Amino acid sequence: MKRTYLGEFEEIVLLTVAVLNDAAYGVAITDELDRQTGRSVSISAVHAALHRLEEKGMLSSHMGDATAERGGRRKRLFTVTALGSRALHDIRAMRDQLWNSISPNALPAISI
Amino acid sequence: MNTLKRRTGQPPRWADRLLEWFCAPHLLEEVQGDLYERFERNTTRLGPKLAQRQYAWEVVSFLRPFALKRKQNEYSSLPLFSIDMFQNYLKIALRNLARNKAYSAINIIGLSIGLAAAMLIMLYTKDEVSYDRFHANNPSIYRITSRDITPAGIVEHQQPYTGLFPGPKFHAGVPEIMSFVRYRENRKDLKLGNEVKSQTVFFADTSFFSVFTFPLLSGNPKIVLQAPHSVVISEDMAEKSFGTTNVIGKTLLFKEDDKFEPYTVTGVAKNCPQNSSIKFDVLMPMVVKGEDMANNENWFSVFMNTFVILSPNASPKVVEAKMNQVYLADARESIKLMAKKFGVQDKTEYALQPFTDMHLSKELPASNGLVDESNPTFSYILSGIALFILLIACINFVNLTVARSLKRAKEIGVRKVVGGARTQLIIQFLGESFILCFAAFAFALILLELALPTFNQLANKALALSYLFDTQLIIYYLTLFIVTSLLAGFYPALVLSGYNPVQTLYSRFNLSGKNYLQKSLVVLQFTLASFLIIASLTIYSQFNYLTSKDLGYDDKNLVVVDKSNLKRSEVKLLKEELLKDQNIIDVAPKNGGFWGTVAKINGDTQLSFAYETVNETFLPLFKIPVMKGRNFSKSFPSDSTQSVLVNETFVKKAGWKNPIGQVVDFWLDSTKYNVIGVVRDYHFASLSQEIKPELFTMKPGNAYAKAFIKIKPNTETASLQHIETVFKKLFPLSPYSYKFMDQENLKRYESEAKWKQMMLFGAILTIFISCIGLFGLATLSAERRTKEIGIRKVLGASITGIVQLLSTDFLKLVSLSFIFAFPAAWYAMDEWLKNYPYRINLSVWVFLLTAAIAISIAFLTVSWQSLRAAMINPIKSLKTE
Repeated sequence: MKRTYLGEFEEIVLLTVAVLNDAAYGVAITDELDRQTGRSVSISAVHAALHRLEEKGMLSSHMGDATAERGGRRKRLFTVTALGSRALHDIRAMRDQLWNSISPNALPAISI
Repeated sequence: MNTLKRRTGQPPRWADRLLEWFCAPHLLEEVQGDLYERFERNTTRLGPKLAQRQYAWEVVSFLRPFALKRKQNEYSSLPLFSIDMFQNYLKIALRNLARNKAYSAINIIGLSIGLAAAMLIMLYTKDEVSYDRFHANNPSIYRITSRDITPAGIVEHQQPYTGLFPGPKFHAGVPEIMSFVRYRENRKDLKLGNEVKSQTVFFADTSFFSVFTFPLLSGNPKIVLQAPHSVVISEDMAEKSFGTTNVIGKTLLFKEDDKFEPYTVTGVAKNCPQNSSIKFDVLMPMVVKGEDMANNENWFSVFMNTFVILSPNASPKVVEAKMNQVYLADARESIKLMAKKFGVQDKTEYALQPFTDMHLSKELPASNGLVDESNPTFSYILSGIALFILLIACINFVNLTVARSLKRAKEIGVRKVVGGARTQLIIQFLGESFILCFAAFAFALILLELALPTFNQLANKALALSYLFDTQLIIYYLTLFIVTSLLAGFYPALVLSGYNPVQTLYSRFNLSGKNYLQKSLVVLQFTLASFLIIASLTIYSQFNYLTSKDLGYDDKNLVVVDKSNLKRSEVKLLKEELLKDQNIIDVAPKNGGFWGTVAKINGDTQLSFAYETVNETFLPLFKIPVMKGRNFSKSFPSDSTQSVLVNETFVKKAGWKNPIGQVVDFWLDSTKYNVIGVVRDYHFASLSQEIKPELFTMKPGNAYAKAFIKIKPNTETASLQHIETVFKKLFPLSPYSYKFMDQENLKRYESEAKWKQMMLFGAILTIFISCIGLFGLATLSAERRTKEIGIRKVLGASITGIVQLLSTDFLKLVSLSFIFAFPAAWYAMDEWLKNYPYRINLSVWVFLLTAAIAISIAFLTVSWQSLRAAMINPIKSLKTE
């Protein structure tokens, strides 16, 4: 199964964009990541990942509205493209397939 | 509330600036927006201080490739180097040059003079640095030197020369020394046909041609200097003596102990290269007597150069240490002996000097048979002047281009409006400066060719333009060319390309700002020019002082004739014969060269002094007065063995109140003399040295070597004829040559004369280039103010008034330059004058004169333009719109 390679962080950022739907931009994504995964990521890392994803064609973007707390600057809003969506689905399918292939007692139990 | 906070808690400015600087423009808005949003939130959550720190940190964390990378322009960007545009640039540049002939001429002339000066100096320094580098054995060739170290450990004296011993003994005792060669200069009388002339000859060890790279036209380099009566001559010498270079086996007659001995030519060497410290025409094998090598005291006689070759990996320091071990072991006895005999306490240490360092060394110069020793200061000064000139020419270019740009403002505006990018304009203007520089460069080459003969004469060189065909120099010159073009063109290009098209096209544009740059550049130019004027004036008057100062003796109508080993009886004979002609007034013999020795006075004090062997006629002939006591006299026959005269400095140094009758003890040969008279101080050496103690003796054992002949004024031709006839009759085997004393005295100041001329050239060139620049600026300013002048005239302004108006601006700048030039020049000249014990005082007049020269030249330059502008009929200037 051939697909564009996605790093773990990129995958999470891509998913977060999907989660935020219409309101996905740098700060919001960073906050959402923080809330959902509990990892505090730097804003520049998020920007870098978004930039990379856009280059790979998994995200598209357009400039949104300006707000006062941004000093009148506009936000760049991201949406997942068909290619991005396909990549996410592929990853999920592959994981599911792998999960299904694990025999029931192969993994040590993690709770009592 | 929100707005209030925004005002108090702003993100740090520097961080914002940094971000705006490095972040790619297409990302800046979103990135900065996001950062501001987070900053806002952080300010409420964490307080302004932490928020600011956080902000800065986040900005720094954006220093990542993706944020730095600029987006490619989505429109196809204009190629910077398209052929069409190039053709256009070239056309416009040439049109501009052709239309503004005066500016083009000023720029090209100025730059080509500057470039020619710089190229000349490059040639010069290249030649200086290339001295002695052509030997294949470099860098393993060293010269043995020595230094005297006092018991306190201070280096008292450095000695570039050595005696007979160091070469062979160090070669035998130090394995790293592969071979050695001793080299010394002498003169021998050479007989060619019936003519006898004194020829400079050099003695060298057999290894000479294996140590140094002097190719032989014929002869085997290994053996040419083996047989005692063999001689190697140069191509030139062969041509001169035999008319051919095929002379192996022929003989030359050299005088040895009063008779001429044949020397067989064993080799003919190519002429020594121009950049060689060793230049020989006649080279003979060095013959050292066995008794000299056996006499251990010869460690202390020092009179020639010794060179050695070290093995390739040897460290000079290690070799030096080994040399000194050899010396201390071999010379132990004689060191003790010397200490006992003469009270010598200094230690001698031998050292090595790289052969290629000799030429420019001040402490250990290339002398005593080596030629062309050079003072590195001279190179520095020359480079300084050349840089000055080039800098001034570049300043002209910058000033004129910027000032003229007003005329081109429209062109720039149009170019910008139709889509010319700033980089393209910069390229265009830089290109124009390259074209100009190229023209100047070509012109400079012509100038260089023209100036080389004069320069060679001044700098005592044989440089040629063909030297240029040397990759290294070509690279230097190309670099010079590019650097000059950039230096001259970069600033104007930057300024011109920055004009705002809207302003230029609406003709609302002018350069009426303060224009500090142009002004300060003019000040800089005139500072340099005034500095050089002061320098040349000072050098000029110091030179005049040196050449016209009363030397304390009369050097007029004095002929000097050399005759080695002139005996007392011969002097008598010569005098008798010469005085037969009534044009000859008197004859006085003297020892040759400069002698110096040491004697004890006041019992045990040692004093070193110049030691002159003369007779009773010497002082009257030179009109040197005897202040106390009496001169030598024939009526006191014991004078020659018992009496001496001394000069005033001698008396002062000795601390004598009553000099007459004092005893001078020559303890070295255990003789004692009484002082019978004190001679007034006179400058027996060059005026660049202080008068030293001097002592006159008639001691019969000291040989005379020259005769001073006083002749009546304006009888040179007849007297010289008579002198020559007499000399040839009396001494047919000795070479005859004469010199005039006053001309010889002038020759002592050759280096000052050179400095004088160089400085004068430098000053004239800088003044000239500064003035053509000023002329250009004045023209432009007059043109720019044509209307203003017209209106003033209509309203009744006089021509003088207008000339004043236009000139004062520039004259103010010139006057301002004195503030910088005078202290700098005063300091520099004061330092230079300290080299001379007898010197002029720096007078105010030099400075006033400089000011007058600079101002009047500047005024003449400017007023011509101002006058022209002021004379124009106002109707003409006001009608045109």
